[in-house]
Amino acid sequence: MIAPAGSTLWLLRHELRLSWRGIMTRRGRGRGRFRALWLTALLPVILFFTAGLPLAFALKRVQIPVAPISIAIAAAVGVALFTLMLSQTLSAAVDALYERADLDLLFSSPMKPRSVLAVRFLAVAVNVFALFGIVTTAILLPIAVMGHPGWLAVEGVLFAIALAATGVGLLIAGGLFRLIGPRRTRTLGQVLAAITGAAFFLVGQGYNILGRHQSASAWTSLVQLANAPRFRLPPGVDWLLRAMLGEPGPLIAVLVAGAGVFLIANQLLGARFAADAASAAGIGTGGGKARRVGRARFAADAFGATLSKELRLIARDPALISQVLLRVLYILPLGFVALRNAGTAQTLALPGSAAALSLIAGQIVGSLAWITISAEDAPDLLSCAPTPMRTLRRAKIAAAILPVAVLLAPVLLPMIVMAPLAGLAATAGCAASAGMTAALNVWWQRPGKRSEFRRQRQASWGVTLAEFGLGLIIAVATGLLAFGGFGWALIPAALALVGVLLLSRSDAQIARALRAAT
Amino acid sequence: MTDALAITGLSKTFGGKFAVDNLSLRVRAGELYALLGPNGAGKTTTLRMVAGLLKPNSGEIAVFGHDALKDPAAAKQVIAWAPDEPMLYDRLTPMEYLEFVAGLWGVPATAALPRAEELLKWLGLWDNRGERCEGFSRGMKQKTALAGALIHDPKLLILDEPLTGLDAAVARQVKDLLQARVKGGATVILTTHILEVAERMADRIGIINNGRLVAEGTLDELRTRTGEGNATLEDLFLELTGAEDAAPESVRR
Repeated sequence: MIAPAGSTLWLLRHELRLSWRGIMTRRGRGRGRFRALWLTALLPVILFFTAGLPLAFALKRVQIPVAPISIAIAAAVGVALFTLMLSQTLSAAVDALYERADLDLLFSSPMKPRSVLAVRFLAVAVNVFALFGIVTTAILLPIAVMGHPGWLAVEGVLFAIALAATGVGLLIAGGLFRLIGPRRTRTLGQVLAAITGAAFFLVGQGYNILGRHQSASAWTSLVQLANAPRFRLPPGVDWLLRAMLGEPGPLIAVLVAGAGVFLIANQLLGARFAADAASAAGIGTGGGKARRVGRARFAADAFGATLSKELRLIARDPALISQVLLRVLYILPLGFVALRNAGTAQTLALPGSAAALSLIAGQIVGSLAWITISAEDAPDLLSCAPTPMRTLRRAKIAAAILPVAVLLAPVLLPMIVMAPLAGLAATAGCAASAGMTAALNVWWQRPGKRSEFRRQRQASWGVTLAEFGLGLIIAVATGLLAFGGFGWALIPAALALVGVLLLSRSDAQIARALRAAT
Repeated sequence: MTDALAITGLSKTFGGKFAVDNLSLRVRAGELYALLGPNGAGKTTTLRMVAGLLKPNSGEIAVFGHDALKDPAAAKQVIAWAPDEPMLYDRLTPMEYLEFVAGLWGVPATAALPRAEELLKWLGLWDNRGERCEGFSRGMKQKTALAGALIHDPKLLILDEPLTGLDAAVARQVKDLLQARVKGGATVILTTHILEVAERMADRIGIINNGRLVAEGTLDELRTRTGEGNATLEDLFLELTGAEDAAPESVRR
């Protein structure tokens, strides 16, 4: 069916096409994109065979009872999914109003602004649903075929949750627009999305943080509470589980509820969002964020000036900070485990934590080094300056490593005091990993825009993969060193060194590659 | 007297096609030189090679006697390059931007601070010195970039379309600034599509087409050359570049 030009359906198709192209752009160019497309297409197939089929056989004769514990678990899963989707839709709602430069064009067309926005937000809901839908379909399909066709209703529940999350995301974004303005709403959206992701990770690490005994007793208490005769769930809570299991009534009710939240949000905010979008579109000319005018600090040399400039730019990049914060939050449980075991002298967890710390240090330095080295906003300014490029690179690498050193010091220093061998091994591993990723980012620069940080990092997947692979090998060396196996540690250390040497490039090669890239 | 810029036999190809083809020109110290040409004529490519941003296939470039290809650092030390798209950092304030650029050119802090203050005041950016550039208008960004170009007191200022997108007031300010620099002894090379600006401001004009210099001289010299005594620069430009095509009927309706 071909939707007539200018119709709502036609606009929805346009929005979805743009979203698809956005995803493709994130996958890189040429052969890289082709490979990434294949990998993306393979993911559901892999999930089908590795998770879907085994689960289908395991659950073939299993009937899920509508009991308090299963209802509570389904509700918890629903809340978790809603929160995850909300963090994405909040960020996407801000992007839809702030990032995309086509709102002026759409609003100047004869289409109704409210229809334009409704379609745009529907596209947000469809995109969020698609992310989860691809994964769940691959797992649910074999389960449905092998005896549980009703469970396919989970897809309907997911779509309802996506609609509701988009509606609530819109309401929150609308409120934040009013309260703190579009620029800060965007920043807050990105930070909230990162914190939500990290929160899920921390909850997942509950076992490590609480320890085996406390985790087991918490679960037992939960089951006992759910099965207690006095325990009463609020009415209607079981509908989510029933909808997931394919009961038509609850499924329709959940779908209607999701659609209702979405429509109410659109109805309430349609007109206001048109105005908000217009004000967001004018952000670029609205006068910069006023800062306290401090004393000017002119550096003595180009190294100092560049280091200072890079640190300022890192500190003022909310998207980057939220990404780094996300990874820093991953350090927390590791740091917790490392320090707890350093105190009690447990042998295996400590080397493991040292290894993980070195891997994470490398990953964070990799992100920052990409920003400082490849995402240079004014490359021509640096090229036409009389300063040698090596000096500038050294300053940029220092700017990438310094914040990580500051973040890791509170974990590494107590570790060195409490368990010197593991602490020193972790410090050496972090330094090696950071040095390796910084070097790779210099040798394999890929110019890109700072604002496209996430996309570009995904697009340079070859470098990202090499960073991760070599980081893993260094982590193994770090772990073995922390365990006291010096001889054994030499093997992965030598392997990593060979890998780094194989990937190294001369200045002339870097310059040639940069010329070709630009 | 040493030329501010001496280009000899300069060529640059992209994909086998000549963007600059055996170009030679001289710019005298202390003059304002306008390099004109239709779109794609090779103006920006030429200036990017002078600024050290592109390597030529062949030819020589000397900036105040320094070989810009063999000793680029010495040449860059006296050049400032200001392209049509300002080379700025959106998340830095104008003062922070000047701190960075001064560092790149090795300007001592004792000299850089008063100079930065002077430039920001002169360009009307003093009250905005603590605001990030991301919220600036096009004109304010252009002025910030100009301040950056001038922080190291360059002897040769190269500007590519410096007036693009500027309102009349800012454009006047930029023109005044350029003339003040020339009066102060600096050399200015600019490209522009606004021929009246070149006609009024330039000491000498070079017209480039298909990567080659087709004419060079003062306005009177160009008139003499074409034999049109009262012609405007626009008339001369169109004649020399052969760009006088009439719009099709469908467009004129």
